[in-house]
Amino acid sequence: MISDLAVPNLFVAQAGQLVLPVVLPLLAAFLMQPLARVSTALARGLGPLVLILCAWITAQLWIQLGDAPFTLAIGGFAPPLGILFYADGIALLFALAVPVFALLFWPGSESGGGAGADSRPGSDQADRDQAARRDALVLLLVAATTGLALSGDLFNLYVFYELAAVASFGLVALSGTGRAQVATFRYLMISAFGSVLALAGIAILYMQTGTLNLGQLAQLAPETLNNPIGSAAFALMLIGFGVKAELFPVNTWVPEVYAGAPARVSALLAGLVSKLAVLVIVRLLVLIFPQPEAAQMLLVLGVLGVLTGEFAAWRAKDFPRMLAFSSIGQLGIVFVAFSIGGEIGLLAGLAVALHHLIVKSALFGLAVRWNGSLEALAGAARTSPLGAALFVLFALSLVGVPPLPGFWAKLTVIVGLAERGTPLDITALMSILLVTAVEASYLFRVAIRLYQDNPDPVARHARRDLGVSALLGAVLVAATLGLRPVADVLGAGAAQLGDRAGYIETVFPSHVAGKD
Amino acid sequence: MTSLDHLVLVSALTLALMLLFGRMRIAGRLAVVLYAVQFLLLMQTGALLGEPVASSLTLSVLDLQMHWRYDALSWFFAMITIGAGFFCAWYAAGVWQERYREEGHSPRLFHVALAANVLTMLILLGSGDLLSLFIGWELVSWASFLLMAVGGGPAGRAALRYLVYAFSGGMAILAGLMLIYTQTGSLDYARVLSLLGELSDGQVWLLLLLIGGGFAVKMGLLPFHLWQAAAYAETPGPGSSFLGAISARMGLYALIMLLVAMLGIGRLTAMEVPFTFLSARDLIAWIAALTVIIPTYIALQQHDARYLLAWHGIGQGGYMLLGLMVGNAVGSAGGLFHVFTYGITQAALLMAVFAVVHRTGTADLNKLGGLVARMPLTFLVLLFGIISLAGLPPMAGFVSKWMVYRSLVAEGMPLLFVAAVVGTLGTILSVYKLIHNIFLGQLRIEHEQVREAPLSMLLPMLGLSTLIFLVGVTPGPALSWVAAVQASLGLPPVPYTLGGIEDPRGGLDMLWLVGILMAGFGVGALIFFGLGGRSKRVHQLDNYAGGHFLTADVRYQYSDNFYAGLMHLIGPWYRGAFLWLEKALTATVAFLSAVMNGFYRYAQPALFVLATAVALLALTTA
Repeated sequence: MISDLAVPNLFVAQAGQLVLPVVLPLLAAFLMQPLARVSTALARGLGPLVLILCAWITAQLWIQLGDAPFTLAIGGFAPPLGILFYADGIALLFALAVPVFALLFWPGSESGGGAGADSRPGSDQADRDQAARRDALVLLLVAATTGLALSGDLFNLYVFYELAAVASFGLVALSGTGRAQVATFRYLMISAFGSVLALAGIAILYMQTGTLNLGQLAQLAPETLNNPIGSAAFALMLIGFGVKAELFPVNTWVPEVYAGAPARVSALLAGLVSKLAVLVIVRLLVLIFPQPEAAQMLLVLGVLGVLTGEFAAWRAKDFPRMLAFSSIGQLGIVFVAFSIGGEIGLLAGLAVALHHLIVKSALFGLAVRWNGSLEALAGAARTSPLGAALFVLFALSLVGVPPLPGFWAKLTVIVGLAERGTPLDITALMSILLVTAVEASYLFRVAIRLYQDNPDPVARHARRDLGVSALLGAVLVAATLGLRPVADVLGAGAAQLGDRAGYIETVFPSHVAGKD
Repeated sequence: MTSLDHLVLVSALTLALMLLFGRMRIAGRLAVVLYAVQFLLLMQTGALLGEPVASSLTLSVLDLQMHWRYDALSWFFAMITIGAGFFCAWYAAGVWQERYREEGHSPRLFHVALAANVLTMLILLGSGDLLSLFIGWELVSWASFLLMAVGGGPAGRAALRYLVYAFSGGMAILAGLMLIYTQTGSLDYARVLSLLGELSDGQVWLLLLLIGGGFAVKMGLLPFHLWQAAAYAETPGPGSSFLGAISARMGLYALIMLLVAMLGIGRLTAMEVPFTFLSARDLIAWIAALTVIIPTYIALQQHDARYLLAWHGIGQGGYMLLGLMVGNAVGSAGGLFHVFTYGITQAALLMAVFAVVHRTGTADLNKLGGLVARMPLTFLVLLFGIISLAGLPPMAGFVSKWMVYRSLVAEGMPLLFVAAVVGTLGTILSVYKLIHNIFLGQLRIEHEQVREAPLSMLLPMLGLSTLIFLVGVTPGPALSWVAAVQASLGLPPVPYTLGGIEDPRGGLDMLWLVGILMAGFGVGALIFFGLGGRSKRVHQLDNYAGGHFLTADVRYQYSDNFYAGLMHLIGPWYRGAFLWLEKALTATVAFLSAVMNGFYRYAQPALFVLATAVALLALTTA
């Protein structure tokens, strides 16, 4: 049974490359420090090089192996004994997005990545050590989040999740300011509590089923987990994995961390890491917990996140904090969307999540320079006209102005909610519409301020940050123009993501073959 | 490609060309030509009298079909839109644009904003289903925001206030559409129309509240009127004219779609307001009547000519809705016709005021006066405009307002008639204040050197004034459009003639009326000149008041605290109740926001984790 995979050798060889996007950054992260002792230039180049390689490998795999999902048993031990990687369209999409976004928001040294990365003048050697540490942490984060996208096994997911947590603590605390350290400590506390709960949830699952393989769990779930114990396990894991997904109410770390951390790190956390955590929750929801209670939990917590985040953002006094609160609200919408279930729910969730990935990352890219209070942004359009124009574009898309992608994403959520139409859904719908008005108010208050007259506006953006934001803006516009193909791709991805039987069949092909 | 596609494409082309070449001096004239082309293309569609014209563009999202088509109603509003764009671009094309540039603004941004407004309105007017209606609505909202915000400074603040109102309204509309969608499973007009009859009264009330309320925001119907005056008045000159002429009417267009085309006046009449003797139709009519009265009397208090006119714009919208709610041939024709007559009137009036601003640098009614000697043609334009705005013969505004009054009386709605007349009284008082404080009285010393408005601005103003007069004397051709629109909406068409309307119970013939008016003037002139025509030209400082000669340093100028006696009487009625309401809402949001902030600042996050875990576990085991 172990060596009896019904696939050609070539396929295995290619699929084997799937481990590289996880292993290579991990390896590079460990090599970083010793390499920095030998040659600074080499160490500096290593990170981006590895990321480009990862992106290339993933893209290559995606092109060559097509859309059909496939698995890779690590070390040749077939599931459920061995651990495995599972790659479908969405997993590969995120596995591709991780290195690409890490590359875009690579914490470069030339412009000082935000709040305080270059605020402490030290010796050259100390700076270099610091840079190497930072690069290693980002690579660690990349490895962990890619692992989150690809793992088909709950134990691995937990390990990668913890790894991502550790890497992000390090990155957030990197600036060394007191504010950042306090924020990190708080983040650490919540994360730790969350992890304990998640572990408890996983333990319950293992007790009930005796396996941690997602495919096998999916097989066993209808008999063993469709009961209060199963729901309890989901609740615990939801809280645990929800910490990084900015789920209400375990998201209280978000505003302080994003305000204190270097803006590019915030971009990665708000954009990328949160989405991978969401993906984990969605996998659990789709594969193991199809019971309505689970979706209801997600819906209620999502609505509360939407309300608290967007209302809190209305009074935010500085730019990164405003983005942080807005990010909480947007992820609330993501949860609401995924709670709808079915193909339309998954499509809506994916659309909102990817839209937020692009837009919020780009906005945090702008926050590299605009990291101060909102008042100080008055007249920023004069020094940075492109930056201000991009802000307006992203703000328009965030609040959902047709024909930008944000509108279609939000519309899908709303139509999904209206179609199901239980009182809870209608409440969620009304909440989303209500806070969207609040959202428009605070975002465009900033937009108007950017275009005010001010003799002493903030400094212009560094060319790199502006370039990254402009690139993401271009992606947004391209998605607007090519709405149809984008929607088709997402629809196919959503169908695959929601295909529970397909997942089981992919993990245990012999199971089906044996029946013939 | 249908003729509608051509129209929208040229409109989009206008926007693109303004984006590309807006910096150049020729841009203004290019825009004028392009608007003229759009106007001709609109005429070619033949949507007014023939079959509705469909666009070949269709989109489908989430199994929701979207398509666009023009019928007579679309044609009518589109005609006013493009016409307003044409005249406003003309006004902006010459000297105004150069001055605007010198003041440090960007003419390109202005032309882009104007073109975007015209384009988005054309898209909205073509909506063939509820989803495309919503999308068009949002596009128009944001295009107006752009035009309002380009001025910067106070305009930015006003635009932001507008945005909050408009976007909240938009979200309410979306909620209403989702209500329709859950009930009918479709957003297609025809399908919704066939299933709308099955909705319960409660659901229709909810629809009226959500969708009607959302559309009412743009029209500035009570209680959503607070944003409009400042937002329109602070917009740069021709932009202000454009917004005043047509922008708020997009709300009326959408309301017509909802109230007349979809629900129908009959359904509204059948719906009782609980615990009262009013029907839904009466309620809307009274909202319209109050929208006439309250903003008009707020206008009376204004010291800024732009604000005075902008407040009137809100009130005049009330007449249109009032006429439509009467629902008979004359009333609905009056409401629709008022869209046109008021559009040309308001555009001309604001252009005249901005011409004064152009020459004197101020629109403050306390700092102007006596300009009739310096800007006689602008005075003439303003005079024509205010006669029309006040609804007096022989100008266009008289015809439409007369029709609304006529229908109110004929249908037995005396209280609403009184309300409409009270509103008109306020209009007459405030437009007299307007023309007096700008043009009559004594010229100020600092305005001795003021010249007539430049020709490039004067020509469109005079053009509009001519139109106001011609439509006033021979309303027949314009009424034929209105009749076509009524027919397409399923309303009884108005029996129009060249000079007015035919009605056994008392029609209107403007040709006769104007003839008699002119004859009266003629008789007066005959008597005057027959008696020798003695007149004496004096210097404007050579006059007296109250039996005292006034010297050059004591001026005849009542403008400050105009209508002091009237304000003494009605002043205490201004309570600012709606401002209070708005502040209360803002304070509520601020309070909620503070509470949410407090949550995220709370120092014991671990507690939340535990509490949530316990709560969720309790929930799952319960």
